[in-house]
Amino acid sequence: MTGIVVKTNGREIFLQWQAVTSLDAGGATLRTTAIDISKFHQRPNEIRLKRDLMDRQIVDIDGRKVVRVNDLRLDEVEGALHLVAVDVGASGLLRRLGIEGPWRVLARGFHREVPERYIDWEDVDPLERTIASVKLRVPHKGLAELHPADLATIMDQLSRNDRVGLISSLDDEAAADAIGEMEPESQVDILEDLEPERAADILEEMDPDEAADLVADLSDESRVEILGLMEKEEADEVQELMTYAEDTAGGIMTTEFVAVPASLTAAETIDRLRELEPDAETIYYVYVTDDDEKLVGVLSLRDLIVAKPSTCIATFMFAEPVAVKTDASEEEVTELVARYNLLAVPVVDAEGRLEGIVTVDDAMDTLMPQTSKRRIPRLFSRSGTAER
Amino acid sequence: MKAPVLGFTPRVVNRVRFAAILGVLGPGLVSGFADNDAGGITTYSVAGVKYGYELLWVLLASQIVLFFTQEVGARLGLATGQGLTGLVRERFGVRWVTFLTITMLIANVGSIVAEFAGTAAALSLFNVAPAISAAIAATVVILLITRGSFGKVQYLFVAVGIGVSLAYFASALMAHPDWGNAFHSLLVPSLAHAGSTNGAYWLAVVATVGTTITPWGQAFIQSYCADKRLGPEDLVGERLDVGLGALLTNLIAGFIVVACAAALFSHQVTIDTNNPNAVAKIAEALRPFAGDAAQYLFAVGLLAASFLGLGVVPLTSAYAACEAFGWETGVDWRFRDAPAFYGLIIFFIVIAAFFVLIPGLPLVQVMFMAQVVNALLLPFVLVFVMVLASDKKLMGPLVSGRFLQMVGWTGTALLVVLSLTLAVSSFTTF
Repeated sequence: MTGIVVKTNGREIFLQWQAVTSLDAGGATLRTTAIDISKFHQRPNEIRLKRDLMDRQIVDIDGRKVVRVNDLRLDEVEGALHLVAVDVGASGLLRRLGIEGPWRVLARGFHREVPERYIDWEDVDPLERTIASVKLRVPHKGLAELHPADLATIMDQLSRNDRVGLISSLDDEAAADAIGEMEPESQVDILEDLEPERAADILEEMDPDEAADLVADLSDESRVEILGLMEKEEADEVQELMTYAEDTAGGIMTTEFVAVPASLTAAETIDRLRELEPDAETIYYVYVTDDDEKLVGVLSLRDLIVAKPSTCIATFMFAEPVAVKTDASEEEVTELVARYNLLAVPVVDAEGRLEGIVTVDDAMDTLMPQTSKRRIPRLFSRSGTAER
Repeated sequence: MKAPVLGFTPRVVNRVRFAAILGVLGPGLVSGFADNDAGGITTYSVAGVKYGYELLWVLLASQIVLFFTQEVGARLGLATGQGLTGLVRERFGVRWVTFLTITMLIANVGSIVAEFAGTAAALSLFNVAPAISAAIAATVVILLITRGSFGKVQYLFVAVGIGVSLAYFASALMAHPDWGNAFHSLLVPSLAHAGSTNGAYWLAVVATVGTTITPWGQAFIQSYCADKRLGPEDLVGERLDVGLGALLTNLIAGFIVVACAAALFSHQVTIDTNNPNAVAKIAEALRPFAGDAAQYLFAVGLLAASFLGLGVVPLTSAYAACEAFGWETGVDWRFRDAPAFYGLIIFFIVIAAFFVLIPGLPLVQVMFMAQVVNALLLPFVLVFVMVLASDKKLMGPLVSGRFLQMVGWTGTALLVVLSLTLAVSSFTTF
């Protein structure tokens, strides 16, 4: 804490905390006689505790929740005053209402504790809106370290403006992961609220199948605009995926798989995997295609590793791989995955060309329609909790 | 199945259609129907029985004010994405929001009692005992809310509501009303009874306004808009929605008054309006004049309205409280993750159900006191809302313009006068 803002003669002025000897309800005593009475201007790295933090919503990073600040805890450490924790418990609320004492007496009569809950200032993330244009010195450091699913839970609790603020503090990849964990309905809302360039950047980071589902749900104008801003290659992939109906193999497949020609050796294939790995959704299977991109075989990572490095993969690949057509139903895909215990099923077009793969997690989504994703007692969200 | 190049697959079409349907049945509409809850229907029926067509102008006036108050509430939700109590806390501090929330909760218990009384009255026409109907209603609503399917079911209620509004229209027709007289009363305030010595006329006026424009209604529309994550770009649609809601509410209320006026007032049928079962009595009394169907249509309408209110009022209360005090808004919806939220809802419903279940409790007095508390709270709520909506920093482009500010403050001033009237007269009659 650096100082206090005092209103005098209708003007707000700033007093250095060092200049204050004592401060209580009756007033403050200063150690200097000269004070700077020029108008107070908030600097970019400053927060006004009462105006910007008290009663506001903050993100409790530890508890992965959005809570409201009831009170603040300031401690003196080595002569300087520090904000150490925010109070989000009932005791803070009662204190603010001026009835903490009586309440405690009452509670003791019933042998009950008054719940106290403090969150370390370190574990708090003030929302963008609540601190106006103020940027913290380490903005949203804690948030970026959260699991995408937790970030999604937090974003579900925020208003639209706050979400956009939060996303703008994340890098494209983290944003893409977090958005990927959200409900389709919310994904669309968020993407349409973002600057189109940013939305395009984030979509590029998402898995193409996820991105395609999302882009298909956008309004016509945003879809055209955002696709236009994406890298050509990614935009083409997304557009291609979008031509498949959502409940078919084509609609749930991803185009990020590893395919190699049959002429490679095991060692060359492993090298190729190293090159491609960062993009592919799964590398447990390597697909083998001919010159026409037709699927001719499949290798497991295990096959590759146990094989002698110099053997040609054509000699030990599984030559009649299980595959589905792009228009196969989701149920067919799920059935195949279950029957053959596959981690992924290749998807081919009518001529047998490899178009994509459906990974086991995407196939399972059809079996368990988001039962694991239940959250929010939303009063009236558009799709409604009832949908789940 | 490969779709043509630009045909963005069937799913896009599905989505648009779904969104369009729900977009129309939006916050304003649900809010409008919820305003015509059990208390509303009781008040309108009683107004029709006691004063004939005379109070129709009050209906029109209160729906116009309702449009503007709901519009402001919706706009706050669109601009800030927050509920009313959250904004009040941030702007006016913890003491004001505590006062607002606790008072609203107390008043809402009274409103919920009225909803239970409504279901009991409606079901009594089908020979169901009050205790049984209250128990059934409480169980059904708690299950619906805790199972999280209320979001969907509310549309069913609204659909029933629309169907029933046609039923009220039919009942009104069957009662052969004097339409000329009705339209005249709608547009020209008639004050024949205004000078009556005991002020009962004005009390009826205040009750009619008070049942339409409520503190919880104000909290409801804002939370609804915020929770639906509607934004500034939805302003036009939302205004349309609120307008439609107010219009339909007005029509339903109007037909109820007309039906009661035509069938009962003009035949000098008197009803003991201090009976919590007054509506049931009124529906029965409709029978000789408007036919058997009218009685049951009336009952079904009342039942649907009560259920909608029974779901909406506790939910709104719990949301308001959680938002004000920062309790688990938007965590997992299982009970153990949101004990305060569900605890509050169940508490409200159970407490209210007791008033109906246990004979001899002062049911009517509780309902009446709830109205008084609501009336006293309303000025505060409206002042908060008006101040917040005029804050350029908070509202951005959605800030109230000069016209809306003028209308809003005029409406607020009128309602303050009415509220004080009700408060003073209720204390003098007690």
